[in-house]
Amino acid sequence: MKRLSPRMLLGLTLLVIITACAAFAPMIAPYSPVATSTNVLGAPSAQNWLGTDQLGRDVFSRILWGTRISLQVGAAAAVVAVLIGAPIGLVAGFFRGRVDFVLVQVIDIFIALPGLVLALIITAMLGTSVLNLSVTLGIVTAPTVARLVRGQVFVVRETLFVEAARATGAGAGWIIRKHIMPNTMRVVWAQFAINVSLAIFTSASLSYLGLGVPPPAPDWGGMVRDGSMFLPLRPALSLAPGGAVALTVFTFYLIGSSMNDAD
Amino acid sequence: MLALIFSRILMMVPNVIILTFLLFAATTSFLGTPAAIMLGEDASPQAVAELNAKLGFDAPLLTRYWHWISDALSGDFGRSYSTQQPVAEMIGAALPLTLELALWAILIAFAGAALLNSVTVLRGLTDRLVAGVSVIGITVPNFFLGLLLIYVFSVQLRMLPTTGWVPWSGGAGRHLLHLVLPVFTLMTFYFSSFSLVYKAEYRSVERNLYVRAARAKGISEARVSYRHILPNSILPLITYAGLSLGQLVGGAVVTETVFSMPGMGRLLVTAISARDFPVMLAVGMVIIVGVMLLNLLADLTYSLVNPMVRTAG
Repeated sequence: MKRLSPRMLLGLTLLVIITACAAFAPMIAPYSPVATSTNVLGAPSAQNWLGTDQLGRDVFSRILWGTRISLQVGAAAAVVAVLIGAPIGLVAGFFRGRVDFVLVQVIDIFIALPGLVLALIITAMLGTSVLNLSVTLGIVTAPTVARLVRGQVFVVRETLFVEAARATGAGAGWIIRKHIMPNTMRVVWAQFAINVSLAIFTSASLSYLGLGVPPPAPDWGGMVRDGSMFLPLRPALSLAPGGAVALTVFTFYLIGSSMNDAD
Repeated sequence: MLALIFSRILMMVPNVIILTFLLFAATTSFLGTPAAIMLGEDASPQAVAELNAKLGFDAPLLTRYWHWISDALSGDFGRSYSTQQPVAEMIGAALPLTLELALWAILIAFAGAALLNSVTVLRGLTDRLVAGVSVIGITVPNFFLGLLLIYVFSVQLRMLPTTGWVPWSGGAGRHLLHLVLPVFTLMTFYFSSFSLVYKAEYRSVERNLYVRAARAKGISEARVSYRHILPNSILPLITYAGLSLGQLVGGAVVTETVFSMPGMGRLLVTAISARDFPVMLAVGMVIIVGVMLLNLLADLTYSLVNPMVRTAG
């Protein structure tokens, strides 16, 4: 068992804390995330650690509950991205030739297009919900997964053990299942973590632009959007949920990149 | 070289046709029709059909696409549903701003990544600076970074204007001052990815024998870095920068919203929330064509500075 790098350790610690916030939000949060009060735009105090928003809702409680939405969207989108991207990458990398050429063209075009703009247009048409957001972000981030898997398959299929398998008469399906897939899994897991961070990043941007999970749900991007109108007066209103997004994105990015560096 | 340019442009045409068709089909047929989106879920099918007919979305998809694309090619993008203004005029007003914003951001990120990673004095310090900005760039969303900068530099320190945009005609000084925070916000992400790409190449070039020979001859470390390593490691960065210009538009959407700048990104966001289909489609098309052109440009620059590709192509 290799020792965990300090970066990985930090990432995992943060992940445990964030997951705990999501899991135990009802127990930790002092108030309901949607309960309004007469204390409108209240300053941070002993009762409301981060103050209250324009409807008198407790910002700290909303941020805690918002963890759930963020993690849900991030994880679901990353699953969708792997489910779509990995098979495409496997096929392109394994069969090469014309199949690969066509697939790579498609992948490259979609990587070049701005993902956020694609997601904006798709959510504008489909409507916003946790499910729609996850699927949309999954589709938009799938090309990077496909490209990565393809690259890894290229490396693995040239190894001696694959050559040996082929020499003993193994079929394509068997080689993919027994040799290629197990050997690309680690890269896929690392990319999975990075995709979670990417999806959380993008979904928060969408909500900030007004196309996120509909209110009154405690959605971080939406909180930043509403709070930014009161930036000079109550900076915590927008900066605290914005910080929560940054911290969560940082956590998953750290885990993903340390997995990649662990060779 | 001319033949190369020509063939690349020819290769671009089918891509643009397919992508604009996908955009048009997705927003007017596949994912719902304009009338259905505009009237909401409770509208009767009859009302939806009537509005679609009124807006001209009842003809077969291919016919409509043909009309849309041929009008667009002659510069006619229709009129905005919400302001009745010709869409071409709206884009003409918004595009220069976004281009300028993106250009500054990409130039600064490019120069910064290449220089800060090649500097030979104070290596420890610059390395840490690069690492710090890189982590911010990758993990801090643009809207949060933008607000944070506004809060620190405009609200607290009162050094820079908060939001808005002043055209060149309003004075070069004021114009540039209004650009400082947006450009920095947009730049950070690209700085970090450019740094990664450049640094990797720099390290591999550094292992070459001619670099060791130069060092062995006693040439100063600065000269080795700037004259021998930098010119030989800049190529991948050029390609990469060209490819990221498209993604930059996504960042510009958010940045323009944070700083209330009337560019293409803002135009798109307002059009989407107002269900203004002609504007939405036109912005989408401009982005697609723009991304394709920029990729082409990156491709050509690459072959221009790399003679090996030029002769082979």
